[in-house]
Amino acid sequence: MMATLTRIGAIVVKEFRHLLRDPRMLLAVVITPVIQLLLFAYAISFDVENVPTLVVDLDQTQTSRTYLEQYEASPFFEVVAHGSTLADVDTAFDQNTARVAIVIQAGFARSLAAGEQAQVSVMVDGSEPNAAKVSQAYSVAINQLYTQQLTRQWADAQGLDLSSVGMLEPRVRTWYNPERRSSDFLIPGLMVVIIAIVTVQQTAVTLVRERDLGTEEQLEVSPLRKVELMVGKLLPWTLIAFAEVAMITGLGRTVFGIPMRGDFWALAVGAALFVFASLGMGLLISAVAPSLDTANILAMLIAFLPSFLLSGLAFALDQIPVVLQWISYGFPARYMVTISRGVFLKGAGFPEVWPELAALAVYAVVMIVISSVLYGRRARR
Amino acid sequence: MQPTTGPAISLRGLTKTFGDFTAVDGIDLDVPRGQIFGFLGPNGSGKTTTIRMLTGTLRPKSGTAEVLGVDVVRHPERVKRRIGYMSQKFALFEDMTVDENLKFYAGVYDLDPATFAAQREYVLRMADLVGREDELTSNLSVGWRQRLALGAATIHEPELLFLDEPTSGVDPVARRQFWDLLYDLASRGVTLFVTTHYMDEASHCNRLAFIYRGRIIADGSPAEIRADHMEQRILDITTPDADAVLEWLEKADGVDEAYLSGASLHAVVPTGSPLTEAGLRERLAAAGHVGVEVTEVDPTIEDVFVNLVARQR
Repeated sequence: MMATLTRIGAIVVKEFRHLLRDPRMLLAVVITPVIQLLLFAYAISFDVENVPTLVVDLDQTQTSRTYLEQYEASPFFEVVAHGSTLADVDTAFDQNTARVAIVIQAGFARSLAAGEQAQVSVMVDGSEPNAAKVSQAYSVAINQLYTQQLTRQWADAQGLDLSSVGMLEPRVRTWYNPERRSSDFLIPGLMVVIIAIVTVQQTAVTLVRERDLGTEEQLEVSPLRKVELMVGKLLPWTLIAFAEVAMITGLGRTVFGIPMRGDFWALAVGAALFVFASLGMGLLISAVAPSLDTANILAMLIAFLPSFLLSGLAFALDQIPVVLQWISYGFPARYMVTISRGVFLKGAGFPEVWPELAALAVYAVVMIVISSVLYGRRARR
Repeated sequence: MQPTTGPAISLRGLTKTFGDFTAVDGIDLDVPRGQIFGFLGPNGSGKTTTIRMLTGTLRPKSGTAEVLGVDVVRHPERVKRRIGYMSQKFALFEDMTVDENLKFYAGVYDLDPATFAAQREYVLRMADLVGREDELTSNLSVGWRQRLALGAATIHEPELLFLDEPTSGVDPVARRQFWDLLYDLASRGVTLFVTTHYMDEASHCNRLAFIYRGRIIADGSPAEIRADHMEQRILDITTPDADAVLEWLEKADGVDEAYLSGASLHAVVPTGSPLTEAGLRERLAAAGHVGVEVTEVDPTIEDVFVNLVARQR
């Protein structure tokens, strides 16, 4: 028993020495997560506010000015310029000085006064789809509110009491992330990508490297057992993965103010299962990859890309093609993203996320069994 | 408990196949203790496969293999603590220092601190690395790395050491120094099982076995092998134009075999052949090859091996 611990210890110490001596690996493991965190939190923002807006008032009446004040008052639009012709819209979009243009046709006030449908054009620069989508929705909302206001004024003028007419008043509220901050949404998911890179990629690479060096062959002849080698190899990366989970959680909570509404232990258990599932994947890659390059590419393909693209992190899962949705069930990342967001944002605990936890547990067991079998077969043909 | 007398290795009918290919074909072999045993053969003849079966990392198809009195087919783990292994890859971590490499292998073999301290001293002196303990292994030249690898492979004081082409890619001076270290180990009672395809290294061994296409074709001390398997005479030819002379010899009457041997050519002639040194020189001169020296020499191990292989074909 003591001998087993000594042998595993020798491997663990050696693995940390490799890590400390290899600037590239150190960069991949320590610096990359921090850079990703900063990028996701600051640079890659899906937040939409202060959209630069150009207004072209061809009516130039009191009514049109009142209407435009609605935009000026919204925190969402920022009126950056006033144009005088339609050509100004082209110029502003071409030069990227505005992303939305509001054009009030001449005769706006007259049409309203005559009880006709007045024309307002809202033009949106579609080259940034997310901002375009949200701008459109907001301008529609502003128009609806304005229409309601007009209706009420008209009713008052006619001496009618509108409270006797049933009217809908939409009150839209966003749950879990009321300010719709994209960092709240991205950082819990980012954790998943970072665990996947550290565990899958690094375990795959360190095991294949051992084979290339001829040291695996040397160790086979020693009293070191296969399972001791595996544990010794995987333990450092498990520790590093947990350290990174802690770091991202800590930075997210303190620097970025991410809430932690749910049960921390549900997140911890989910992270542990996800780490084991990822280690299993790493083992699997190292068992089948003939070279270091292949191992790197395979790790990229089955760890990084699915956890980024097919996990709900970058794209909502119900908005990707059905085939991809099915494929996403085959990778553990989607379950972990659900758990992470559930716990951080929705206040979830074990009762809410147990199906995902169960899926991860099954995944971890299956991966580790398959890779052990492949390893065993490789070792003693 | 473990028998300490009897052969270090004893094989009977050991066979290994990979699909349709028979890598090792029913070999019988006895290796006495405390000797340097040379296991010779061309690349792909089954040397490494045999070593892997002896170290318990490959399961034979059939036959028995006893190493230090232990059945390694059934109980490979019982012998691992007592054997060592070194391959031409050296199995050192180049991003770790000399000391860190030794510490790692000491950990793998679970050495107690006192034993490790003593072994470390011995290895550093043996490998001529005293004062360079903290140097990265990647900074060492090949000869030093090779000696460090030997030190790492023997850190746990194995009774039997397997060396799989340990001198491949090492310069002749370093090879010579390395063999001195092997003699030193043998004098301390360690049995050495060495594979090589350098025939000049064969004469360093107490006993030899030739493996060719998975079968052992000769086995014994170097003198026995020369006596038992060499019925022909060897004429050593030095010439400024080796290519042309070799071509002529290959077609010449009364010459069984001709090949390059070091810087000269060797011609194999039957024992009863009347061809003398002077006679061959005259025939070469008549064919236009002048400035040629011919001397009759004792057959080397290489001569024996070339002939054995030629007979197998």
